[in-house]
Amino acid sequence: MEKFKSIIRDYPFIAFIIAFIILAFVPSVVFTDVYQSHLATLIFVNIVVAAGLNIVKGYCGQVTVGHVGLFAVGSYTAGTLFLYLGLGFWATLPIAIIVTAFFGVAMGIPSFRLEGPYLALATLGGGEAIRLFIENGNFFRSTFGISDIPTPSLMGYNFDSPDRYYFISMTIMIIAVYFSFSILRSGVGRAFMSIREDPICAAAAGINVKKYKILAFILSAMFAGAAGAVYAHMPPGYIHPNNYTVIEMVTFLAMVVLGGLGHIWGGIIGAIVITIVYDLTRPLYKYQLLIFGLTIVLTILFMPKGLGGFIDRYFLEKRFKKKTGTEKTT
Amino acid sequence: MILKTKQLSKSFGGLKAINKVDFELPKNEIRGIIGPNGSGKSTFFNLVSGIYDSDPGSYIEFDGHDITFAPPHEIASYGLSRTFQLLRLYQDMTVIDNVMSGYHTRVPYKFFDAVIGRKKIWDQERAIKEEMMELLSFVGLADYAELNASELSGGQRRLLVLARAIAMKPKLLMLDEPAAGLSPVNVDNLMKIIMQLKEKYGLTLIIIEHILKVVMDTCNSVTVFDHGQKIAEGTPTQVKDDNAVIEAYLGKKMDDEEMRKALAV
Repeated sequence: MEKFKSIIRDYPFIAFIIAFIILAFVPSVVFTDVYQSHLATLIFVNIVVAAGLNIVKGYCGQVTVGHVGLFAVGSYTAGTLFLYLGLGFWATLPIAIIVTAFFGVAMGIPSFRLEGPYLALATLGGGEAIRLFIENGNFFRSTFGISDIPTPSLMGYNFDSPDRYYFISMTIMIIAVYFSFSILRSGVGRAFMSIREDPICAAAAGINVKKYKILAFILSAMFAGAAGAVYAHMPPGYIHPNNYTVIEMVTFLAMVVLGGLGHIWGGIIGAIVITIVYDLTRPLYKYQLLIFGLTIVLTILFMPKGLGGFIDRYFLEKRFKKKTGTEKTT
Repeated sequence: MILKTKQLSKSFGGLKAINKVDFELPKNEIRGIIGPNGSGKSTFFNLVSGIYDSDPGSYIEFDGHDITFAPPHEIASYGLSRTFQLLRLYQDMTVIDNVMSGYHTRVPYKFFDAVIGRKKIWDQERAIKEEMMELLSFVGLADYAELNASELSGGQRRLLVLARAIAMKPKLLMLDEPAAGLSPVNVDNLMKIIMQLKEKYGLTLIIIEHILKVVMDTCNSVTVFDHGQKIAEGTPTQVKDDNAVIEAYLGKKMDDEEMRKALAV
């Protein structure tokens, strides 16, 4: 067991390969109908977005409310590339990631001068502007949406149904989470955290604050772009501006807050819980916004570090007690 | 000379917070900076570390680099580290993360290696963590490494800030009131640790301090600021008897005749 642990520590990607193999068997063993595969794909897409949002909001502390706009950029880049050039998933995915990264730079530049609620307002404007631009432009098929975006195929095998597309979204999710883990556990993650805590002190400690802020925005935009492309190609391959409203933004925020802002698992736990709750409460759709708003408020009041921080705290107190023999509770 | 300023000035509106200060600091010296409140000590620190931009005509040189217009992170990368009067602790990070973030300028790997997550990175990260744990146990915080910094007591916070500033292995360490708010016993303990660190890392130190005992006991030389100007400089004993210094702190010394005149009006 010890040896296994040290191997994982040196080569973390082995843990991800194991997770991949386990998840690959889930549809055939656990799922009873196709809808569950579809739901799983939605969970994976949300995990990618939330993991990206956790970088910029949880770690770097930049309050962005326009992230759904970047998600839309990813989707619509994939959609329009198919519509006008007939490109497939394997071409649109990387292009969507790159294009969204540029939009991430634009979204991040206000953070040099604005912070807290003011930055939130600026990014909210940015996100909504993107949606309105799509909705009112014939180039993007305005409110008709783009339909019949093809599912990807690999070596003659077409991932054309939800239980097959599951493997595409799952692979992308595993890769994205792997990247977010290795970034956040390295010195880059620490630099992000120091900027969140105190930008002036971070600068005095040798961290280039502007560079790391924009880096956080670019990274999270790339995550959102990848998620957007996966979402666009998901069967039945239909995207509509109404999928990218402030309501979706609130759900993304609820995911990160519930999972734990600045916790490495934060976005992932939150995305799983919130997506399932979102699906279960569909009959109560009138009250969904109320539910997610309340979730955010209650989490911040009673569990400021989210589920992830709550679990961490439990184990930390146990370890501290074992080490020093004294209680430490705050 | 490790630090040199020429005609260093900074004004906030009409107030000249620092007015044409020439300052020179040789290597391996411990320099104390004293002066009444509002005399420009902290502003001087902020100017040197690049947090404020100095007024036109100023010149700052650190270790052979012209840092007059350099941003703070560049100055830090040349080996200048500082602490803050208000600590500026990273409250929501663990103690060990606090110290490791101070290591930033020395992190050996590139960003893309970190993204890919190669084995090399984790080896180096572990080496950094070990080194920083050593530093933490040196200042006596090793048991608290995994706690949040906000859970430490006042004295422990001061030690943590000190450890974080040392983590980058600076050439020059500037301490802004390291002992403020500590009890006399803790002050002695802190000064002992600072002196040990100086020996261990070969530091040059500038210390702003209001506790005169600390300044008189530990500093090789003292600079006195008042109203943004340097009014005296020399060994602690020289400065203690300097008329300008006594005037700044206590007021002017008058002979009997002058006193009579002043009271008569």
